[in-house]
Amino acid sequence: MDSGRSIPGAAYLLVILLVVFSIFGEGFATLPNILNIGVQGSVLLLLALPMTLIIMTEGLDLSMGAVLSLAGVVLATLLMNGHGLAVALAAAAGVGLAFGVANGVLVVLLELPPFVVTLGTLGIAQGLALVLTGGQSVVGIGDALPALYESRPFGVPFSIVSAAGAFLVFGFVMKRTRLGSYVSALGGNREALVLAGVHVNLVHVAIYAVGGLMSGLAALLLTGRMSAGHPTAAIGLEFDAIAAVIVGGTSFERGNGTLVGTLIGVLTIGVLKNGLNVMSVSSSLQVASIGVLVIAALVIDSALTALRRPAGSTA
Amino acid sequence: MVDAGTVHVLLGQNGAGKSTLMRILCGAHHPDAGEILIDGQAARLRSPADARRLGVAVIFQEFSLVPFLDLAQNIFLGREPGGKVPGTIDRRRMHAEARRLLDGLGLDVDTRTLAHELGVAQQQMVEIAKALSQNARILVMDEPTAALSDREVVRLFERVRALKREGVAIVYISHRLQEIFQIGDRITVLRDGKNVGSFAISTDLENPKNLENTANLENLVRLMVGRQVTMSYRERFCETPGEVLLEVRDLRAENGVRGTLDVKAGEVVGLAGLVGAGRTELARAIFGADRVVSGSVRVIGAAPGRGPAGAVRAGMALVPENRQTEGLALMRSVQDNVLVAGLRKLFPSAWYLAAKAARAASDVINRLQIATPSPARLVRFLSGGNQQKVVVGKWLAAGSRFFIFDEPTRGIDIGAKAELFHVIDRLVASGAAVLMISSELPEVVAVCDRAYVMRDKAIVGELKRADLSEENILRMAMHHG
Repeated sequence: MDSGRSIPGAAYLLVILLVVFSIFGEGFATLPNILNIGVQGSVLLLLALPMTLIIMTEGLDLSMGAVLSLAGVVLATLLMNGHGLAVALAAAAGVGLAFGVANGVLVVLLELPPFVVTLGTLGIAQGLALVLTGGQSVVGIGDALPALYESRPFGVPFSIVSAAGAFLVFGFVMKRTRLGSYVSALGGNREALVLAGVHVNLVHVAIYAVGGLMSGLAALLLTGRMSAGHPTAAIGLEFDAIAAVIVGGTSFERGNGTLVGTLIGVLTIGVLKNGLNVMSVSSSLQVASIGVLVIAALVIDSALTALRRPAGSTA
Repeated sequence: MVDAGTVHVLLGQNGAGKSTLMRILCGAHHPDAGEILIDGQAARLRSPADARRLGVAVIFQEFSLVPFLDLAQNIFLGREPGGKVPGTIDRRRMHAEARRLLDGLGLDVDTRTLAHELGVAQQQMVEIAKALSQNARILVMDEPTAALSDREVVRLFERVRALKREGVAIVYISHRLQEIFQIGDRITVLRDGKNVGSFAISTDLENPKNLENTANLENLVRLMVGRQVTMSYRERFCETPGEVLLEVRDLRAENGVRGTLDVKAGEVVGLAGLVGAGRTELARAIFGADRVVSGSVRVIGAAPGRGPAGAVRAGMALVPENRQTEGLALMRSVQDNVLVAGLRKLFPSAWYLAAKAARAASDVINRLQIATPSPARLVRFLSGGNQQKVVVGKWLAAGSRFFIFDEPTRGIDIGAKAELFHVIDRLVASGAAVLMISSELPEVVAVCDRAYVMRDKAIVGELKRADLSEENILRMAMHHG
């Protein structure tokens, strides 16, 4: 009965990966390394959360990585010029939000295909980041951001706390607010939402706007980790985010998706990358392994669906 | 004009303008001229929110549920009871009120169930609960009983009568004429977007003889189609059936159904039973869509190959209940849809010849009189009755001889129904055989040469033409012990 909320196939993969790497990867199952996986996965989660909503509503955002890079460059440049952290973060968030709103308006109001629109904004954001920096890293960003990044509220690394906070906020919105219901409804049955008198286009644009905003905010963690802004730092990260969402069981149809699934997807990709690192597998092979992971998760999901639904249960 | 506390029935063929009128009433469509009066005041319905504010609620025939939201979320979509923090939902209150509404309709399903996990009939009940939850003063129902079993219809009618007593005005659209006389106070017939007749139903409901006033029926049908149509659907019944086209012996399928039956050339054989008796499952097993555990299925004297592909090659065709998702590619043209199953036969050389394809498609379009401006029209834009014909046409082009029709008249109007039965009649007259699954007992009685009755996933009896009556079918379908 509960196929919509049951365990995604990726959960099984995650357990298998954890067991395999614990046995064969030297130093994998240690607390510092586990925390390291969390730290590495936190930026990805910040992108994957809004990506879940975008994919649930039959959309796509390819511009996230580039927007994140641009926001990081803006953040670092402002810090380098002596502006406060709050101002710099607000500017980064603003840059992200602007791109998100642009994506949303083009996709929703002009009814352009999201793939094409966000491929375009990817190019614009990436180009702007390179122009602003002349292709160089922005260094000398002061102490405030690195200090914040190194802080450990409740003994947990700042980036993990941030990602967990974002996860809770998204979960609350999806489960407890009207907006959350409307996001599911938008992907599942747009007509129903129109007839319910909801401003559907507004909700739809908001979903893309949140995608941009989260890309902007993620610049805080990325820039903090590198203590510098780099114009190509987050290149291709949107593909990891899409992979995480799909591995987590969200489909492009019917408004079917869960944030818990996406969290599992992010962790699975994080564990896979980290484990292969620990086992000294080359980075080129790591890219291939994510491809294998996505397909494996889809195969497991469809096999589970076939098992759960006995033949001929139409009536 | 609808008075408070009455049920006003709207009748009309597909395309007569019922749906457009409904969409105007719910604010999704804007009228070019004329006005709508609510409580004697000109109402401006510019958006669904306007309609809701004025107390108009609509139950749509096309399901307006969201598959991955739970039942409470679906019922209150757009009207969620607010929590303490703005924008949040008071989930406890929402689920409690949803529970109360579903109890009122006799639907015993957890309100946290996701909508896509329900069957069609249950989804329809949720749809009704959704409209009731709006405390509407004007309730518009479009074929609310199309997917319901008789027991659920009784429940629904109890609710409708209660609403009438509370002073709710109801606009009721249905193709089931019996219902109209049971529940309606006035009837208006629409044709080509115009009101062609409106009169009170003066039937004495206590007198069962009046429930099916044939003269009245004929009048309504005549008004709807604008010409006289006869209520008899068959030119003549089959007295000397030909060879056995389908022979099923001691079938047991993985989905739990079992039975023995045969259908001969020239026959229309009914498969009757209550909702859940296993009719669709039996059809799926015969067609190879569900696995057969034991027993045999023979088509035109030979065992078909594996699966639906084998069934089709053997000359079998299934016209499914859910035409849109199972039988049609809505975004493709009439021609593409009509030819898709017959490509192998039409082009044995595997080369697609455009001229030959066009000829074959227009041949089928003419034979079935599919109302389409051109073969290139997307099937999505055809009316329900014509979509039905496209599904049948697909198998005609493939040269099928044994047809299974699963609830062929669901959601189509009387005019289209008559045409569909003429198509069936023509099919069997040309040497084909038809197995017809139907929940509409009057149709089984009016159309079939014989009927098998199912109960609890098994065939429990057979009725010859002479014994074929609604009472006999019901007796078999409900018998216990």
